[in-house]
Amino acid sequence: MPQHDVLVIGAGLAGMRAAIEAHRHGANVAVVSKVHPVRSHSNAAQGGINAAMPEEGREDDWESHAFDTVKGSDYLGDQDAIEIMAREAPSDIIELEHMGVIFNRDERGRLGARSFGGASFARTFFVADITGQAILHVMYEQLMKAGIFVYEEWFVTSLIMLDGVCRGAVAMDMLSGRIEPIQAKAVIMASGGLGRVYEPSTNAMICTGDGIALAYNAGAPLMDMEMVQYHPTTLPANGALLSEAARGEGAYLINNEGERFMGNPRNPYYAPNKMELASRDVVSRAERVEIDAGRGVDGAILLDCRHLGKQKILERLSQIRELGIQFAGVDIVEEPIRIVPGMHYQMGGIKTDVDGATSIEGLYAAGECACISLHGGNRLGANSLLETVVFGRRAGLNAGQYASSVTQPVISNAVKSDEENRIQSILNRDPTSDPPAAIRLAMGQSMHNNVAVFRYEGGLKRSREDIAQLKERYAQASISDKGKVFNYNLISYLELGFMLDCAETIVAGAIERKESRGAHTRTDYPERDDENWLRHTLVTLKDGEPRMDFLPVTITRWQPQARTY
Amino acid sequence: MKYAWYPGCVSQGACPELFKATLAVADKLEIELVELKEAACTGAGILSERNPELSDTLNARTFAMAEKLGLPIMTICSTCQGVMSQANFKLRNDPDYLAKVNETLALEGLEYKGTTKVSHLLWIIVEDIGLDKVEPLVTRPLTGVKIAPFYGCYILRPTMFLDFEGHPERDTYIEQITTTLGGIAVDYSGKTRCCGFPILTMNEKASYAMSGDHLIEAKEEGADVMVTPCPLCHLNLDAAQPKAARQKKVQIGLPVIHLPQMLGLSFGIPPKKLGLNRHIVNTKSFVAKVPA
Amino acid sequence: MEVAVKIKRFNRESGSGPYYEDFKVECDEHEMVLDALIKIREYQDQSLALRCSCRSAICGSCAMRVNGHAGLACNTKITDALARSDTIVVEPAGNTTVVKDLVVDAKPFWEKIGKVQPWLSPVGPTPDHEYIVDNADMLALNQVMGCIMCGACVSDCTVLEVDKRFLGPAALAKALRFAGDPRDGIQAERLQTLGQPGGIWDCTHCFECVQVCPKGVAPMDQILELRRKAVEQGFVNNNGARHAESLANSVKRSSWLDEKRLIVESYGFRNVGALLGLIPTALRSLLARKMPPLFHHKRPGADKVKRIFEKLESK
Repeated sequence: MPQHDVLVIGAGLAGMRAAIEAHRHGANVAVVSKVHPVRSHSNAAQGGINAAMPEEGREDDWESHAFDTVKGSDYLGDQDAIEIMAREAPSDIIELEHMGVIFNRDERGRLGARSFGGASFARTFFVADITGQAILHVMYEQLMKAGIFVYEEWFVTSLIMLDGVCRGAVAMDMLSGRIEPIQAKAVIMASGGLGRVYEPSTNAMICTGDGIALAYNAGAPLMDMEMVQYHPTTLPANGALLSEAARGEGAYLINNEGERFMGNPRNPYYAPNKMELASRDVVSRAERVEIDAGRGVDGAILLDCRHLGKQKILERLSQIRELGIQFAGVDIVEEPIRIVPGMHYQMGGIKTDVDGATSIEGLYAAGECACISLHGGNRLGANSLLETVVFGRRAGLNAGQYASSVTQPVISNAVKSDEENRIQSILNRDPTSDPPAAIRLAMGQSMHNNVAVFRYEGGLKRSREDIAQLKERYAQASISDKGKVFNYNLISYLELGFMLDCAETIVAGAIERKESRGAHTRTDYPERDDENWLRHTLVTLKDGEPRMDFLPVTITRWQPQARTY
Repeated sequence: MKYAWYPGCVSQGACPELFKATLAVADKLEIELVELKEAACTGAGILSERNPELSDTLNARTFAMAEKLGLPIMTICSTCQGVMSQANFKLRNDPDYLAKVNETLALEGLEYKGTTKVSHLLWIIVEDIGLDKVEPLVTRPLTGVKIAPFYGCYILRPTMFLDFEGHPERDTYIEQITTTLGGIAVDYSGKTRCCGFPILTMNEKASYAMSGDHLIEAKEEGADVMVTPCPLCHLNLDAAQPKAARQKKVQIGLPVIHLPQMLGLSFGIPPKKLGLNRHIVNTKSFVAKVPA
Repeated sequence: MEVAVKIKRFNRESGSGPYYEDFKVECDEHEMVLDALIKIREYQDQSLALRCSCRSAICGSCAMRVNGHAGLACNTKITDALARSDTIVVEPAGNTTVVKDLVVDAKPFWEKIGKVQPWLSPVGPTPDHEYIVDNADMLALNQVMGCIMCGACVSDCTVLEVDKRFLGPAALAKALRFAGDPRDGIQAERLQTLGQPGGIWDCTHCFECVQVCPKGVAPMDQILELRRKAVEQGFVNNNGARHAESLANSVKRSSWLDEKRLIVESYGFRNVGALLGLIPTALRSLLARKMPPLFHHKRPGADKVKRIFEKLESK
């Protein structure tokens, strides 16, 4: 049985950053990932990474970054965590630059920033519109440099729990189908988001909430799961994301009257000051209102970049242009492109403290699968990349220190055989004509119909029933591929199980929270209710059912105010 | 039809038979050729490795000469065609660059305005002349002869510089011409690959492995002869064939001819006049296969 | 519309294949080849193996051959793939071994990447702020930074087909990402290493990688850039550099190629073995009366060409 001090699950930015930090502090670290590290979904972050780095000619301070984040979160973010993020952002960005990220520069050769939604100053540092990709590849370079071992294309099927303490993970080598427990003194969950719970979603097909569900099934509470971000600019055809960088560079959102509706009070979510660069939840709601009022264009809004000019578009938005040409047949240099709000990000996740520790000893979490909570009800653009490096680093450090304080326990061989038997029993099921893909599609559509931008109790309860029924179908579904080598049929079945668990917790949180805050807008409870709901929802698995609890929000210096942009 | 002819270095060096055959065939096709005698080498894609502007300027100079004559350019070499197409694309799509290049051309009183069209004989036959005009010229059809096309990289890639958007069939012209001349086109995967010539002196083994693979594959598919629009490919496929065969430890013996030689033979031009006796791999077996 | 897809199947485990299997799948006009493959996998044959994830040409998972050429299935339009044939032929990427169906062994790819010391290697003390560099230098790296390591270039590389030692287009483009980064401190060492056999001079200039790269990285152009940099740094003692030098000199002198001299100068006058190896080919050419002219003469206009060289080389 392979043994490590620290096992990181997931090789996106948070996972690799955590691994590097634990390695730096002397831990024997390994990373396990179901895809090669550079295939991770951190790639998709296009626009940039935030940090308040005041400079000659660039006004800013960390308090402003923190306040914007608090306000963006609709006051649901924990302000101690947000303060840490804002304070530590500059040094982490400088470190990325030293690692080799080719950040955009200003005329003096210093780092140059762009504006992003919900931000008081231009504080988003970027590499064209491939910031996530550029950082992810550099982080992988650093992982190679450090010689950290990667269980590449290994799929984690369960966590090893010993007397309520997490001591590793059981994983399947997808190349051979072999199941192997990987023992570790500490586990860092950095498995990313759960976008595929929804259909459509901007997320990659690997974003199936594996780690969130693994932790949930191991007994860890999940926090604020109802907070699901719809991004204002996604392509109607396939849900692909067009980065906020477009609006950051000055693109307009227009309705079928050619009007920039973000400035028109006729729309209840208009933002006279920030216009297109209001928070994402606000813009997505405003778009939905325009479309529902019949002011859309074929059920969509138009994103207009033409006035930015070809040169700027080619230099800074080339990938967006490419996506538009490839997936919508529209060149943004020449004409506006149709966009809709689309599922994009999970603000909630495994509840952790500011050092990445979850409620389970030995288990840490960082990145999108974790909820610290920085983003509260709504994440600001370019704070997610920042979260991965700041809190990936902190989780890596903390998990490494914890690992050095404990000894490697003895793990029973039954862990391996039990898991082998469990998987084999799934493969042995009698054939049915209900492919996992059909169940996933039904789940995704139910979530998109009822747990999207606007929600109400009836719809949410319908989704709760849908998910319960789909779970029954899931328990009966069969795997037609009986092979061991790259059995994606089996993998996608296991992923679907994780997604159904995630869906259940999202719906549970959404039914519970009887107010409108951030991304969670209830048409039956249209107002924010600070008196009753300035608190986190916590969902824990008890006797096979989600059980709700609540936690107060940590407020350090910014009391809730009305939120306008 | 009248063209400013750019014969290229190799047809005046190691492949003089190509020069000869081109003239003979142009006569039959009623193509009037005005040779650009003062034009320089295109740089063969090698000069641009060292100094892109220098390479582009030499080509702009050639384009300007043709522009002055009011004629499109005809090439007979895939490499010349590719290098010129790339240079022309850059010059036509970047006015600032063109202006810069013209500053140098002004040294000898030349200016390139960006209007010259550059076409390989292969394209001219299909696009400008038309296969229907070629067919009546065939007096000695290549009936029953299996002919393997070998294009050469530069005339195929990158497609964006070679106007494949306007002419998506350009990678099938040799086959189309073959069929028009009565022959049978042999399909094999190597026809669009690299002949290996550019790395002959850097990685000789790999170079011969490439030419050897393609020749053997074509032969295995039944080819009696290979035809190429590129004299550089020809060097590696014909002149170097004995070496490739020795490295591969097989007999190959596949004649490799130039595009105009294939045309000329079917037009009834005597093989000797086409220089078919000037190859390393003897072409007699092929010529004998063509019904007299 | 109903789309016909022919997929090359192989299963090492069961020993079945390779063989081609035909599928018919209902697709919309805007959909990509990957959409068709996913539908087949989800509803027709769940054992079909392929890697895919982001569906937007950024993760690099789904490189494979569509109609004989490598590319990403996720950004290859079905209508484009059907433009010249009525069936879309899908095969695994080339120049590696197939594991199952469209899944290939990625190890050799990453081993090559690992050989170019693929991380920034600054020398000297680390500043307490960012490195101060010109934005133009950073923008110049955007093209190589756009590489998503999908391996399409490697799949269709013509040199790798015959010489497994070649580092290949992806690794060499990655090498330029550091050799061209002003913050890197070991550029000379990098260029020297890259000049060894299997490195930058082994590229055959076939443009396959430029043609198939789904991200416009143009790996071959980056290899040529590395050659330029290597020559600038004085690493000229190899056949490739000598060949380029000889060609340039020949055109400068006479306005056209002196083929005999080009070959001899490429090998270098001291490389007696290689020069002796040229004799059989030379003799055969002589017998066929296809040797280049014995005395290489200047072409008309050569003096004007020389002036252009003098002007642009001095820059």
